Amino acid sequence: MIDAFSPYVAWRYLLTRRINLLAVGGVMFAVWAILLVDSVFTGFVSQIRSDVRASACDLMVTELPHDASYEALRAAIEADADVVATAPRLRHHGMLQQVRVRAGSARNQGSSQVDFDHTANGFALLIGIDPAREEAIGGLRQWLVRGPEELAQRYPGDFWPSPALDETDAGRKGRLAMPDADEWRARRRAGLAHEPDVANQRGAWPGVLLGWQRIRRLGWFARSEPFDVVCASFTGGDGDAVLHTHSARVGFAGVFATGSRAADEGMALLPIETLRTMLGHDAADPGSVDVVTDVAVRLRPGLGAAAVAAAGARLRDRVNAALPPGSPSCLVADWEQQNVTFLSAVAHEQGMMQFVLFVVMLVAAFVIYATLHMMVVQKVKDIGILAAIGGSPRSVGAVFLLGGLAVALFGTALGLGVGVLSAANLNAANEWMYANFQLELFPRRLFDLREVPCRLEPSWAATVAVGAIALAVVVAAVPARKAARMNPVLCLAHE
Amino acid sequence: MNETALQAVAVHKRYRLGRQEIPVLRGVDLAVARGETVALLGASGAGKSTLLHVLGLLDAPSAGEIRFDGRRVDDLPVRERAALRHRHVGFVFQFYHLIPELTALQNVLLAQMMAISPLAYWRVRKQARADAEAMLERVGLQDRLRHRPTELSGGERQRVAIARALMASPQALLADEPTGNLDSHTAAGVCELLFDIQRQRGLALLLVTHDEGLARRCHRTVRMKDGVVER
Ligand SMILES: Nc1ncnc2c1ncn2[C@@H]1O[C@H](COP(=O)(O)OP(=O)(O)OP(=O)(O)O)[C@@H](O)[C@H]1O
Ligand SMILES: [Mg+2]
Repeated sequence: MIDAFSPYVAWRYLLTRRINLLAVGGVMFAVWAILLVDSVFTGFVSQIRSDVRASACDLMVTELPHDASYEALRAAIEADADVVATAPRLRHHGMLQQVRVRAGSARNQGSSQVDFDHTANGFALLIGIDPAREEAIGGLRQWLVRGPEELAQRYPGDFWPSPALDETDAGRKGRLAMPDADEWRARRRAGLAHEPDVANQRGAWPGVLLGWQRIRRLGWFARSEPFDVVCASFTGGDGDAVLHTHSARVGFAGVFATGSRAADEGMALLPIETLRTMLGHDAADPGSVDVVTDVAVRLRPGLGAAAVAAAGARLRDRVNAALPPGSPSCLVADWEQQNVTFLSAVAHEQGMMQFVLFVVMLVAAFVIYATLHMMVVQKVKDIGILAAIGGSPRSVGAVFLLGGLAVALFGTALGLGVGVLSAANLNAANEWMYANFQLELFPRRLFDLREVPCRLEPSWAATVAVGAIALAVVVAAVPARKAARMNPVLCLAHE
Repeated sequence: MNETALQAVAVHKRYRLGRQEIPVLRGVDLAVARGETVALLGASGAGKSTLLHVLGLLDAPSAGEIRFDGRRVDDLPVRERAALRHRHVGFVFQFYHLIPELTALQNVLLAQMMAISPLAYWRVRKQARADAEAMLERVGLQDRLRHRPTELSGGERQRVAIARALMASPQALLADEPTGNLDSHTAAGVCELLFDIQRQRGLALLLVTHDEGLARRCHRTVRMKDGVVER
């Protein structure tokens, strides 16, 4: 127990010594900074996660043999009671180039220069999709709505939403085909063969969907503007492999935004049959396989994490059983596993950030320590006086401990208040700073965000508050102990 | 009247300075009874202040015993010694030793906040305040309650210190040259007050002084030399 004078004297010291304001301010700043920066970070992370979640399917069957057939797997997978839909995916690396550019300029001809900017030079991760099945998986339509929105947020212009999914004819929808008149105009503009009369033009081009980040670099294209898609493969081996290139002409069918920057830069979506044909598996060929590299799976809604994991294990067994004997096992990944490197990088970054903020808190704690230590040194005589009139060493020490505690309490309370207020008004403040001082504290354009996502978790605020106060008490205990251990007689003699 | 309020029995006090031991008190025997005033004289460095501190439990003796009301107290736990220091003795120092941040009233109130929990004090705070005001009135400072030490004269400061020393109704007053820093006129006033209160309350008063005149007003005079009491 402590004596009544300890809080009293501590309080009096606080009121009369302005240096304590510095410590209060330090704690306040640290608490504020931790709350604000971390809630922005939490906001970012949760936004990133929800974006990633939205662009990932429930389960992805992947690491399939190179000639896996979709129909065989579909039957195996859809036999599971929890599976609602599946969609085939065929991944292959390739390039794409505007026909107009290749025809009109010699920009890349004869150049040995290597350009690693794959959005500008046309490298692409080609993903063959079945649009109708993708719609059953979810996501694709939303991506195609968000694509033009993302561009319209940033650039003036008329960004049309892709009509490809609204196509009523199943065959045309499967090819992501654009209206015939669009193709006719595109052919004419590019100087390609076209019917004299637009009414007679029959569209031949499958459509390609490009990510908005690529469009941002390349510029917006007219409907059905032709691209050539190229991919390459080797046959043979043992030192005399032959390189085969395959190409197809496609029309620009729209822009998508998945929320994942890598996908929005690098991915190009095209009809799976187009890509199969390029890879030598044209549906019309005898002996062709409806090849897939991955199968996207949609599960019954409302399944918990455990049920999803169980479904994943079941699907892996079903698919393995359906694969030819001796094939290596496939992998079934949930949405987090599909993006494990990205998500763990983000989590790691948040951890680093919290560490940096903890250092800020340590600095504030050091300010408390320094002011209290100074106080003990300056108040040596008072320590002797308090002892002489009956203060026990513990209560004398408590004066300084309580001083530190009070500083921490005030600083934390102020920091919490200011932190909550500024988290709530972050976007308004950001706008205001920008409007009045051209200063952007949180440059959301840098992160391609419409507004700064900010999420203040009450549990985090509580952790920070308790941590700040506990740290202050620990730090204040050092000068308090020093004060308690002083010899009162020497203190009184102190000049 | 003859109960010994305060007693030192064969008290030794040595200070260690590096490897050297400096004996400051070398077997001091001294008793002060209730209602008795004792003047402690001696050359500078004789050990008077040291004896006062040891007697008031502010410092521990190296050997020997301190007794309050005949009971040994120097071997009590630190917390109990602090409580006894509060309840049993009051210190008055040459340099007043008031806390500069606190007003006269607050400095006196401080003595009420010793050996009591914050909650217990909270319940009696009104009474404590009234008592402190009454005590300041008793020492003639009813108009100086809200003055800080720096806003008080030396004599007034010493009155505040006396009020503070009396607040817990101790049985003994230990005054270390209480007038050593005051002009003779002010000193006379402070001494008058001190003796007045001593008589009124029947306190044991041990008064360290260099003033023979003041010493003669005490019942007894004790002289110290080189850490021992001269017989
Ligand atoms: N903490 C200490 N360490 C070492 N020596 C000390 C200590 N405190 C006091 N002394 C020594 O003890 C001796 C007695 O000191 P004390 O203050 O008791 O003398 P005093 O009789 O009160 O003198 P004065 O009349 O000048 O006040 C002195 O020689 C002093 O140097
Ligand atoms: Mg002295």
